[in-house]
Amino acid sequence: MSFGPNPWQQTSWDARAAGNFIGGGAGCGLLVFTWLASVQDSLRSVLIVLALALVSLGLLCVWAEIGRPWRAINVIFNPRTSWMSREAALAPLLLGSGALALFGVAAALPLAALLALGFLYCQARILQAAKGIPAWREPLTVPLLVATGLAEGAGLYWLFAPWWGQGTNLLWLGFGALLALRFVLGVGWYRRLARQLRPRALRAVNQAGHAFNAGSLLPLAIVLGVWATPLAPGWSAALQALAGVLAALGGAAFKFMLVTRAGFNQGFALPHLPVRGVRR
Amino acid sequence: MSATPSTATRSERVPTYCYQCVAGPDLLTVRVQDGVATEVEPNFCASKVHPGGGKVCVKAYGLVQKTYNPNRVLTPMKRSNPKKGRDEDPGFVPIGWDEAFELIAERLNRIRAEGLTDASGYPRLAASFGGGGTPQFYMGTFPAFLAAWGPVDMGFGSGQGVKCDHSEHLYGEFWHRAFIVAADTPTTRYLISCGSNIEASGGVAGVWRHANARVRGMKRVQVEPHLSVTGACSAQWVPIKPKTDPAFLYALIHVMLHEMPRERLDLPFLKQRTASPYLVGPNGYYLRDRATRKPLVWDAARGAACVHDTPGIDEALHAQVQVDAIEIGADGEVLADGVLPGSTGFDRLFEHMRPYSPEWAAGVCDVPAATMRRIAHEYIEHACVGQTIEIDGHTLPYRPVAVTLGKTVNNGWGGYECCWARTLLACLVGALEVPGGTLGTTVRLVRPMSERHDSAVPGPDGFMAYPMNPTDKATWSPRPNIRNAYKTMVPLVGNGAWSQALGPTHFSWMFLDGTPKGLPTVTFPDVWFVYRTNPAISFWDTAALGDKIARFPFVVAMAYTMDETNHYADVLLPDATDLEGLQLIRIGGTKYVEQFWDQQGFALRQPVVAMRGQARDFTDIATELARRTGVLDKYNAAINRGAGGVPLKSAHGDFSLPTAQAHTREQIWDAVCRAASAELSDGAETHGLDWWKEKGLATKPFARLQWYLYPTMVERGLRFELPYQERLQRIGAELGRRLHEHDMHWWDKQMAEYQALPAWKDFPALWEGIVTGAGAKAGDYPFWLLTARSMQYAWGGNVGVQMIREVADNVAGHRGVIIHSGAAEKLGIADGDPIDIATPKRSVRARAVLRQGIRPDTLLLIGQFDHWKTPLAKDFGVPSLNALATMSMDLTDATGSSADIVRVAVRKGCS
Amino acid sequence: MTRWAMVADLRRCVGCQTCTAACKHANATPPGVQWRRVIDMEFGEFPDVQRAFVPVGCQHCEDPPCMEVCPSTATKKRADGIVTIDYDLCIGCAYCAVACPYQARYKTERASFAYGAPTENESLRHDDARLAVATKCTFCVERIDSGLERGLTPGVDPEATPACVNSCIAQALVFGDRDDPQSNVSQLLATHKHFRMHEELGTGPGFHYVWDTLDDDAGGGEGKI
Repeated sequence: MSFGPNPWQQTSWDARAAGNFIGGGAGCGLLVFTWLASVQDSLRSVLIVLALALVSLGLLCVWAEIGRPWRAINVIFNPRTSWMSREAALAPLLLGSGALALFGVAAALPLAALLALGFLYCQARILQAAKGIPAWREPLTVPLLVATGLAEGAGLYWLFAPWWGQGTNLLWLGFGALLALRFVLGVGWYRRLARQLRPRALRAVNQAGHAFNAGSLLPLAIVLGVWATPLAPGWSAALQALAGVLAALGGAAFKFMLVTRAGFNQGFALPHLPVRGVRR
Repeated sequence: MSATPSTATRSERVPTYCYQCVAGPDLLTVRVQDGVATEVEPNFCASKVHPGGGKVCVKAYGLVQKTYNPNRVLTPMKRSNPKKGRDEDPGFVPIGWDEAFELIAERLNRIRAEGLTDASGYPRLAASFGGGGTPQFYMGTFPAFLAAWGPVDMGFGSGQGVKCDHSEHLYGEFWHRAFIVAADTPTTRYLISCGSNIEASGGVAGVWRHANARVRGMKRVQVEPHLSVTGACSAQWVPIKPKTDPAFLYALIHVMLHEMPRERLDLPFLKQRTASPYLVGPNGYYLRDRATRKPLVWDAARGAACVHDTPGIDEALHAQVQVDAIEIGADGEVLADGVLPGSTGFDRLFEHMRPYSPEWAAGVCDVPAATMRRIAHEYIEHACVGQTIEIDGHTLPYRPVAVTLGKTVNNGWGGYECCWARTLLACLVGALEVPGGTLGTTVRLVRPMSERHDSAVPGPDGFMAYPMNPTDKATWSPRPNIRNAYKTMVPLVGNGAWSQALGPTHFSWMFLDGTPKGLPTVTFPDVWFVYRTNPAISFWDTAALGDKIARFPFVVAMAYTMDETNHYADVLLPDATDLEGLQLIRIGGTKYVEQFWDQQGFALRQPVVAMRGQARDFTDIATELARRTGVLDKYNAAINRGAGGVPLKSAHGDFSLPTAQAHTREQIWDAVCRAASAELSDGAETHGLDWWKEKGLATKPFARLQWYLYPTMVERGLRFELPYQERLQRIGAELGRRLHEHDMHWWDKQMAEYQALPAWKDFPALWEGIVTGAGAKAGDYPFWLLTARSMQYAWGGNVGVQMIREVADNVAGHRGVIIHSGAAEKLGIADGDPIDIATPKRSVRARAVLRQGIRPDTLLLIGQFDHWKTPLAKDFGVPSLNALATMSMDLTDATGSSADIVRVAVRKGCS
Repeated sequence: MTRWAMVADLRRCVGCQTCTAACKHANATPPGVQWRRVIDMEFGEFPDVQRAFVPVGCQHCEDPPCMEVCPSTATKKRADGIVTIDYDLCIGCAYCAVACPYQARYKTERASFAYGAPTENESLRHDDARLAVATKCTFCVERIDSGLERGLTPGVDPEATPACVNSCIAQALVFGDRDDPQSNVSQLLATHKHFRMHEELGTGPGFHYVWDTLDDDAGGGEGKI
């Protein structure tokens, strides 16, 4: 392993850290979308459980990664400046209100959804505050991560909703809108990076982009296609589920790559070269 | 530096020295906590006397791991598998010291019974040490054992000398008592460095001084095929084609002689301090006074010839005259007698350099003519000809320009030309052996070794005496004393203690399988001692060398860990390593590389920690060997005479050891300590071991004036023997006659080197000749493969030290072969790709490291790896140039050296 | 006020790694961990190539990104500028490691030794508290503090000075109080051209790189990249 001077892929955060962003992002997005969609019947429980499970799995992942798991409680000691502290502080509130929502407590779901949005935002800020990784500290990372979380969550909704006969056209188009938003933000994010990153680092981000693009454009095409084309219910349900899976997996793959493959640091740089004896 | 209490546990700082490489010795302290060595630190108590602030380089920080390396051999071992071979497991089994000594003594006593030399006249006992002489500072009193023993063949080399600075060692000592040549770095303002990688090889003193120099504004021009660490830290990099440095240097001389007003040169220096005004006769030898046989000069004041040392004359630099004289050639033959035409050595030089213009040189060395011209002008501009400086109350010339040469430039073919050109460049501006100029360090061939200036004794023709090996008919002998035949073949190497290891040390190996005509058949030594050296890795043609080592009948290896050479040993002995042993050495004065001190004295290496396992101090090993072979009294006598570094009896006191009994290492070194203390204090103090253990070192002032040979030359009325090499020409002619009288014609090519004014030869073609000689086309092997120093690894067995490997990885090139990015691209090679580097006969594989700082026609393998037995190193996967290089008579120059350079082909490796 | 700072004179550094090794000795860092190290940088295209050796490590920033993100407050900054890690608070989340633009932080999951099993000196100095938590250059803060207690001057008296500075054989590293105009670092910075690494990120490093004298005498252009 060579450590410099050219940028190299960070090795501090691995798939487990990515897991937190994947589980947390999709889970929070799903909780928000579940609330927005006014989900009924058993689907409501399924989705809330899935959302909370994803968030919990994500937290479990990151707990498994930290060096001193039995000191994990120390994570909330710095809410003044650390987005990780803030995310960690929100977690029990989120899970708690989600559990209450599961048990039918009124207003618990909107509260949980709000906390989920906050949690999602914290995650995005966590990544963006990592000043050591140019691709992460790019300001557009925040809206991008929020958007992808929401899009993944919407995707997971559409993976299940058709089988319960739920899901309106508006929600379907709303899913499409989130996909489009995610894509546009992604393109903007990439363009800004292309001006700053070194070639190898940019190539790695590019690689991460493949899953991202596929996971946005393919389902978007399906959204438009299904919306515009009358289809037998079986087919449309299948396609909706497919679009949902693609959206969720695309986002997950992108976040996985972003953390474990496209997280290049900036290496070292000299604005001036030393004079050795006499100036050139 | 006594015990310094630390925070928690009991800890102290123990002073010692590091001399793992020739750039030392340097001082350090080791923190010891509860008997365990923990940290290396500088010895700041030495900061005022040591030219590197009392500090040590990265290698010394490896000493803690070196001590506790679990791969250390910690008991004596003997081989249980009688078959020796690379693929044969030696089956080393642990034995006790008693059994080990018995095994060795039995063999040694057999030699004493049969005769110390064999039928060929060669010593039956051989010993090889590596490290350019540095093992001497770790081997305790073993030199006393060798001295007591009798004839020993120390000429089986492992690379030092012949691969490194060899021509400079010999010619340097000859011309200005410069076993190694250094710039007067603290004062120099302009330095031309042809391949001298001083930032990697100059050690603490070198790095310290050069850093100060460039911050002060010294301009260093690094002329080298790759951008080494030194090139990186230089003001200018000139990427010269390999092995063409003579052309570059000749072009500079041409510019100074043919393109500048004569007054820019130091005319008084040339006239009075060199042989420039000596008249050369029609046969190429000096015109001599018939009565005194002294060389003649032309006195411009009187308009007549006179002997060179006539007082009050004005020697003419130019003269085309008719003189009544004799001309004496080889073997004292009078070649001409009467009124003879003569011109000065300077005139001859002037004509000789005429063809070597920068335009000519550009076509040879691939350096633009304008660059060479500019460098020549910068050199002259900085030379300050005519200026003076006060040193210790004496007025000396101030000439702050110097030229240094590196390994591969100053050894092998072309080495003579480069050393001559460099020394001449110094002479032209009077910058030889004066403040700011080109200086010699120490002497190893001329005696006395410890007093360089005392070795500048008047000899013939107004020059210094030199202990040339005889070439006259009466004394020259084709029966050499050791296998590498240095005394027979290389007059310049003398016959001192170091001459053996500075002869053609590859001959010992080569001739084992075919002694050339005229020399007694080269035989295997009955017993071979190996210490701090790994020739199976560090010499040329490593595969063949390993096979030869396997045929040695009995090898005793002081083993740090298992390695590629002791793989073939019969007995392994664990000697106390750096932080465990006891020895006192001289420090300061002027020594190798950049170790020019304003102090001189002694430093102690003491047991920082208890010896691990069954390791024993080399002094105790030597004493026991002496006792068991019946030479104990001679051994002690040798110690008394000074084999421990200081004569134990002198005007200041008598600390001699009783010769009849065996002494402990403490007793021996206590006596040496007292003698050293007495010498330092002119008898006022006689501190013993305990005092030295606490203080670590002691010094007294060393006059700065002593750095410069010039005042001594003036005082003794001596001239530097340049430019015309009349003496070498004569010696060469005589040697040629002696060899031919014995029907020995295999050294004829080398005889051609004995030119009074060396001409440029196509040196690169010689290495291309190895390719065509193997039946292949030179164009198919278009790359030059070179090596460069790794400061982190070399030397000290550091390939087995994990921390060294880890930190060395931060410096580019340590994990593979450096190749120019564009050249790699053309071959479809990406960074990290495995590539095959091949000669017509062999191929090695390396990972490609793509860089811009290297010529497109050049490859670089840093260091010497390719280990297959040494723990840790054997898994590096980095090859070595040594596996590709041959031991070849064709590539050996007249001084008996060659160079680390091979013509190779490169191909992307198939997995 | 005291503000400890390090200056690396890039004109002097030869990349020998002596400071890298000295730091490892002083701080008993495990294999692979180099709180201080020197990187080897190449610029340009043949034949116009330059190469520089650059000591790097924790820059002890004025506005440390690591401290901002640290969830446990293990990373703090002293009034004298030294950024510290409380190993007992640290949860080993490595957030600081990805927040640091100088790649200065390390985390060693498991005890590791040079040759597999620990050697005597490694056993003696091994500290479990430093496992699975963030570690980095401390400017040898224990030496500074104990030195100050004894009236010594960090950067001048070796006992009170970081090990890397003590060890440098090119005298390339200088350490001292940047807020004292008479200190060695202040004098060096006042008379030489210098820069800080990744200055545009606004971290305010306490680590300066000298590259030329301010003296106009020499003429000519600077080394171009």
